[in-house]
Amino acid sequence: MMPSTEGSSRAEFAKFDAVVAMRRDEDAEFLIRELQHTRAQVRHVWPLPDRLPEDTDVVFCGLEPGLPGRIPWVPGEPKAALVVVLASGIMPDLDLLVNSAPDAVLYRPITRNGVLVSLVLARNHFAYDRRLRWRINKLDESLRGMRAVERAKQILMHTRQMGEEEAYRFMRGQAMKRRAPISAIAATIIDSHEMLS
Amino acid sequence: MAGFKSRGLGPWRVGVLFSRSGCTAVIEQTQLWATLLALEEINRSGGVNGREIVPVVYDPMSDPATFASYAKRLMVEDGVTAIFGCYTSSSRKAVIPVVERLNGLLWYPTPYEGFEFSPNVIYTGPAPNQNSVALCRFLMERYGKRFCLIGSDYVYPRESNRIMRELVRANGGEICGETYVSLRARHRDFVPVLSEIKRLRPDVIFSTVVGDSTSCLYQAYHDAGFDPRVIPIGSLTTTEAEVAAMGADVAEGHITAASYFESVRTDQNSSFVRKYKKRYGEDEPTNMCAEAAYFQVHIFAKALAHTDSLDTDLLRPAVLGTEFDAPQGTVSVSETYAHTDLWTRIGRVDSHGRFEILEQSCGQVDADPYLIGSGRVLACG
Repeated sequence: MMPSTEGSSRAEFAKFDAVVAMRRDEDAEFLIRELQHTRAQVRHVWPLPDRLPEDTDVVFCGLEPGLPGRIPWVPGEPKAALVVVLASGIMPDLDLLVNSAPDAVLYRPITRNGVLVSLVLARNHFAYDRRLRWRINKLDESLRGMRAVERAKQILMHTRQMGEEEAYRFMRGQAMKRRAPISAIAATIIDSHEMLS
Repeated sequence: MAGFKSRGLGPWRVGVLFSRSGCTAVIEQTQLWATLLALEEINRSGGVNGREIVPVVYDPMSDPATFASYAKRLMVEDGVTAIFGCYTSSSRKAVIPVVERLNGLLWYPTPYEGFEFSPNVIYTGPAPNQNSVALCRFLMERYGKRFCLIGSDYVYPRESNRIMRELVRANGGEICGETYVSLRARHRDFVPVLSEIKRLRPDVIFSTVVGDSTSCLYQAYHDAGFDPRVIPIGSLTTTEAEVAAMGADVAEGHITAASYFESVRTDQNSSFVRKYKKRYGEDEPTNMCAEAAYFQVHIFAKALAHTDSLDTDLLRPAVLGTEFDAPQGTVSVSETYAHTDLWTRIGRVDSHGRFEILEQSCGQVDADPYLIGSGRVLACG
């Protein structure tokens, strides 16, 4: 069954920027056309540059020897989704594939379904990966924040004779009033306490 | 060199990333040397399961971005999964995304600020509960409660000072000043800092200045006429290597907390110090970072002998929970956070530039990188 290219999925691709880094053969022409049908802004680059562009949303390229070295970001901190284009019927270099850390693969001969599936999967995987990394950063921040809140709570309890609940409530209230995170309020309390004592 | 039984398998290849140039090269060079020394020892006694371990060594030049790109090169082009390396937290943080994405294992032999965990890192240097807590207590009991903080301007000093501030405050002390200088700070940059410290009259200076500028700080302190018997500099990173660079006359009387000093008395340490000096020169002292770099290679080799595979998914579980008789004493890699349970010691530099050990823990102190069960009120003893 053909996936629908009408309606929402087409709209989803409307603002994308794509780079196709492949020799301009029939498959590449087809890929560029299909991407343009999804209303992506497509840039074709060939020969393969030493550094692939990173100011884009998704990069399509063949599994060329030395590909990881041409990817401008370090693995684990990708700047764009990566789709690796593979030849059918030939076993790819699996180490090279893993080391390139693609978000999806696309097989030749390139079909319309293939383009859409790899595009959706790559963008989806890339975004999920980014959300996870963002969440880990937030968790790290929160862990530090919790220590500050604990410390500020103790200061309030000692200097203002507040109860535990009251101290938390005070900080939450200040955070709402100042539209600041509660950890920032806690840091301010700690700083001013240190300055005054 | 022992002949290696060929089983049709090549040598084990591992990556090594310590800087031989740039602002933290002095200490990283000792970590490189200790790593290579341990590898030579292992290879001389037949390698691991009959196979030699061959290091692939790059010089990341004390630059975090270069660390990241060499980590990528090691894993992608050299086919390495285990990497021994990193001194600064900035370099560790640059390498972590690479080892996490490609499932490598970074062995990190340096004291750091804690509050971190990665399934792709084995931490063999102390977390704050294994050095800051003891240092803070010692300084407060011995010298007084007013602390001035001075550090290099990057992540490790700022985070360490945050923890030190909490510890000092929670125990009735006071932070009377906090200053940061560039990692490339020279002697003249410390002159105004020290005259300000003179005005503030603290009881203790807590320094998280690292790299080449460490010498400049201690020398400027010396030149400004401070007396370390009255207002010492307490540090977590000033080791025998930095003392050798600044001179014993300048370093004498200052305090460092570490899991290891060259003066530790264990059989393992006599042997380590002897081999290190034989290999690199009688004037080259060992230090805490070199010691961690040394024993972590041995822990790695023990695990590798067991798994007979460098696959991180096999190697890491084999590492967790293992014990090793390191030069500092018996250490073990804890299962929860892959940090190492280490010894805590307080040392004071003597007139020969050696650390006299004034206090030490009765045994290993469990690593608590998130300071969940430690680090508020300083329990004595």
